[in-house]
Amino acid sequence: MIDGAIGILVATVVAGTPLVYAALGELVTERSGVLNLGVEGMMLCGAVSGFAVAMMTGSVWQGVGAAMVVGAGVAFLFGVLAISLKANQVAVGLALAIFGTGLSSFIGKKYVGQAIVLEPSALSVAVGKLPLVGPLLGQLHPLVWLSWVLLGAVSYFLYRTRTGLVLRAVGESPRSAYAIGYKVVRIRYLATLFGGAMAGVGGAYISLVYTSLWTEGLVAGRGWIAVGLVVFATWRPGRCLLGAYLFGGVTTAQLFAQGAGARVPTELMSALPYLATIIVLVLISRDATLIRLNVPASLGKPFHAEN
Amino acid sequence: MSNISRRNFVMTAAAGSLLAPAGLRTALGADEVLKVGVIHQGAIADTGWEYFQAQAWRSLDKAFPGKVKVTVLENITQTQDAERLFRQLSTQDHRLIFGTTFSHFASLKKLAPTLKKSVFECCAGIEASDNLGVFEARHYEGTYLTGIAAGRMTKSNILGWVGAFPVPQVIYSLNAFMLGARSVNPNATLKIVWVNAWVDPGKEKDGVAALVAQGADVISGSPNTPVQGLAAEEKGVWAIGSTGDFSAYVKKGQLTSFELDWSAAHIEAARAVMAGDWKPSTRWRGLGPGGFVKMTTNNPDLPQNVVAEMKAAETAIVDGKLNPFKGPIKDQNGVQKVAANAVIPDAELKGMNWLVDGVQGKLPSAG
Amino acid sequence: MPLTLEPRPQPSAAMVYLSPLIAVALTGAIALVVFAAAGLDPLPALVTFVTAPIADFYGVGELLIKATPLVLMGVGLAVGFRAAVWNVGAEGQLILGVISGGALALHFGPGGSAALLPAMVVAGAVSGALWAAIPALLRTHFNANEILVSLMLNYVAQLWLSYLVFGPWRDPAGFNFPQSAPLAPAALFPIVLEDTRLNVSAFIALAAVALGWVLMSRSFIGFQLRVTGLAEDAARYAGFSTRRMVWIGMLAGGFTAGIAGVGEIAGPLGQIFPTASPGYGYAAIIVAFVGRLNPIGILFAGLLMSLLYLSGDTAQMALGLPSSVTGLFQGTMLFLLLAIDVLIYYRLRNVSVAPVSAVPVSRAPVLPAPIAAEAAR
Repeated sequence: MIDGAIGILVATVVAGTPLVYAALGELVTERSGVLNLGVEGMMLCGAVSGFAVAMMTGSVWQGVGAAMVVGAGVAFLFGVLAISLKANQVAVGLALAIFGTGLSSFIGKKYVGQAIVLEPSALSVAVGKLPLVGPLLGQLHPLVWLSWVLLGAVSYFLYRTRTGLVLRAVGESPRSAYAIGYKVVRIRYLATLFGGAMAGVGGAYISLVYTSLWTEGLVAGRGWIAVGLVVFATWRPGRCLLGAYLFGGVTTAQLFAQGAGARVPTELMSALPYLATIIVLVLISRDATLIRLNVPASLGKPFHAEN
Repeated sequence: MSNISRRNFVMTAAAGSLLAPAGLRTALGADEVLKVGVIHQGAIADTGWEYFQAQAWRSLDKAFPGKVKVTVLENITQTQDAERLFRQLSTQDHRLIFGTTFSHFASLKKLAPTLKKSVFECCAGIEASDNLGVFEARHYEGTYLTGIAAGRMTKSNILGWVGAFPVPQVIYSLNAFMLGARSVNPNATLKIVWVNAWVDPGKEKDGVAALVAQGADVISGSPNTPVQGLAAEEKGVWAIGSTGDFSAYVKKGQLTSFELDWSAAHIEAARAVMAGDWKPSTRWRGLGPGGFVKMTTNNPDLPQNVVAEMKAAETAIVDGKLNPFKGPIKDQNGVQKVAANAVIPDAELKGMNWLVDGVQGKLPSAG
Repeated sequence: MPLTLEPRPQPSAAMVYLSPLIAVALTGAIALVVFAAAGLDPLPALVTFVTAPIADFYGVGELLIKATPLVLMGVGLAVGFRAAVWNVGAEGQLILGVISGGALALHFGPGGSAALLPAMVVAGAVSGALWAAIPALLRTHFNANEILVSLMLNYVAQLWLSYLVFGPWRDPAGFNFPQSAPLAPAALFPIVLEDTRLNVSAFIALAAVALGWVLMSRSFIGFQLRVTGLAEDAARYAGFSTRRMVWIGMLAGGFTAGIAGVGEIAGPLGQIFPTASPGYGYAAIIVAFVGRLNPIGILFAGLLMSLLYLSGDTAQMALGLPSSVTGLFQGTMLFLLLAIDVLIYYRLRNVSVAPVSAVPVSRAPVLPAPIAAEAAR
């Protein structure tokens, strides 16, 4: 019984981890006022580049590193268009999603269907021997633990550091921040690059740890889910984690329920996270005060410095 | 022509004779090269459904060196596009065109009558017509044999199946898996989870986890990627390579496997088109020479006596002495569906919609 | 940086028309590079890429029939985009069209009736509009961001369709495959060009272009939409209701997307699959932008986009390139367009001269200068 519960818990956490990375990255980006809808494209590029590098070097971590670089690179493209050239962020994000999908498919052509067989992480094995938490934590790859660390880091950064405060200020009122002397454009770029790097890690996690292979459609819409997830979490990091496990866990839970013999209305269950997001959005938006407290005020609007 | 087993030959001849030859097809000139067109719905990997389809057209070049030129299209995911491209292939003088999946059949059925100068063959199609032939594999013969291995090697007596779609091909496959296991181990049971996708690595992996959580220690399914095998291996249970040998990736955990080999269908069709005597036919072949199902590697840890059992069963099937679906067979609810010594006719198998005794999982409700 | 962007006192009319052309030309140049890198002779490859799909009547028919949903939706979306109402939910609204049109087709199709097709079109339009009404309502009453609501609703719509096709609508004769029964002839759009798949829905798209043009350029509502998009405060000051604009904008998008959905199942598909749309809802957004939110422009942009889809397959067949080139070129084209668009509002300047700070021009949907000037008055 405990085993079964642990099994589901582990599966849920594993399924939700790519979302944690992508959503936390997008959260930081959006907090600076930039809406990047191209997360799917960035995750795919991260997934394929991580896989390719890992295939070539045999190292997961090098793959993850490559994924971060590629994700940030693709995000840079977004930044140039949306931040510097002040193009419409919705359009640029969409273009990025489509382009990223095509690019990853192009690059991944020779890897389709191949699997990487990686040694279980030595760290995980070691942790698995720890008393009490061992059985649970040991089944998780270090990237999962790192996602929790990331959560802590992002929260700390946003709410406890001056730079984080500045970033939030930029997202709320770039004009005021600019007037004070903060470099709005640079901050937005950095936030966007961070978002891209995290999306890349999320993608690499899928192709290296979760499924250990590359195929078309590997990310399967998780990038879009991550965008919604940030809203669902009302732009709070902690809620992002919970939401990620919720969203990620829905599909997993369905399969486990099936295995146990239950009849599940699959589509309805799968739709619940999206419906929940809409409800949350309505709840936080219906009041100007609530909105101000939650949604970064300048989200999606380009900033004209005219320096 | 390679040796065709008596059973297969009778099947093919019978099917062919029912359909009148459609017009005179001209043979290819001595210097002419046969242009063959193939459309893949997915990407061709190095194993899985598309891979085997690709191996088949690759075999054409080896069988007819210099006489065949194949045009291949991959990743044509939408049926509307496939329809347009089939037509384009035909108008560009591809005289032999292959569809590689069930969803191509509807388009080909529509198109074939209007494109008389090409001959079409649809894998997993339903029925042949004038210039359209269909062929499918008796997957169940392969799964029956793997079921024997599973039945012998399971310790928990719980087997697991990661179900893609509840279509007859999957249903008769898993039924045969159960029957094969029960032929050596009457206590074996089978649990199913439906992932509703042919390829969805995340869900497949979770599906394996869900089955293992229920106690399954041998996992089978319709894998197109190594993900199921790897997931099973990770959890320390056996994996079966149903329709694919993934042992290159699943080094220790794959118990046994079988592959699909469509080259006979491709080569026969090409030869007939080149000779000008192609006739539409419905081929449904399994094990044996000229067949579409080939058993492949066995795990070194699979005991010799089990391997011998599988081999014996295989020979019996090829010789027509053993039919996986010979009665008495009861369904999940204990109702006898097949009387003793009766056999389920092919037509019924093609529409199979019920699960045999021992399978613990439901078919998702159809409307 | 040696170069900087200096705002123009007035948007450049020339660039508005030149920008898409330059973007297309540059995409072509990139294509040449890609072809060369793949070991092909670049120029003939590009010519093949562009002309092979439409080399015969059938190809032309395919071009038009694939452009139909893109143009149709592009026009509808443009209405909203003009007013800065960002409907990202066209995909879901299209699916609602599939669902409602499909329901009618499956129930009444076998009976056969001349009224069936018009009923399907109406049902599709209404259901698409209703699906778009949700984000509209949530925006006007609760201030909820319509981008996110409409995006989430895409998933809900897709799951709804999956449920139907896997469940109650599954073809009893279809061997349990997730697909509906083929639609009865009474439920299919009549073909207009023999030997092709071009059907009546193309005319609906043309009608949408015409109507859209009248609405946006010649009607007061069109004027209100533009002003709202350009300067919301000014619009409100002038007494234009932002709420009304949100409704009109979203409903127009949903209306056309719903019809496009019916067009797919009553057209080339002839059957209902869970993946009825290969992402047309998103592609239509690109079409709207490339078409400068102008119905005539959208007509051309839709044809161009459609050609890119077809050429991607040609690239495989004739040039041996992977199928992913389609997405690559589409994305690249949009990127380039958005980048070059900058030159409508800004010009490149050498920073050796101290830049004069000018009044920032708001980034709104792009319009030719005279109209923008008129709107700002």
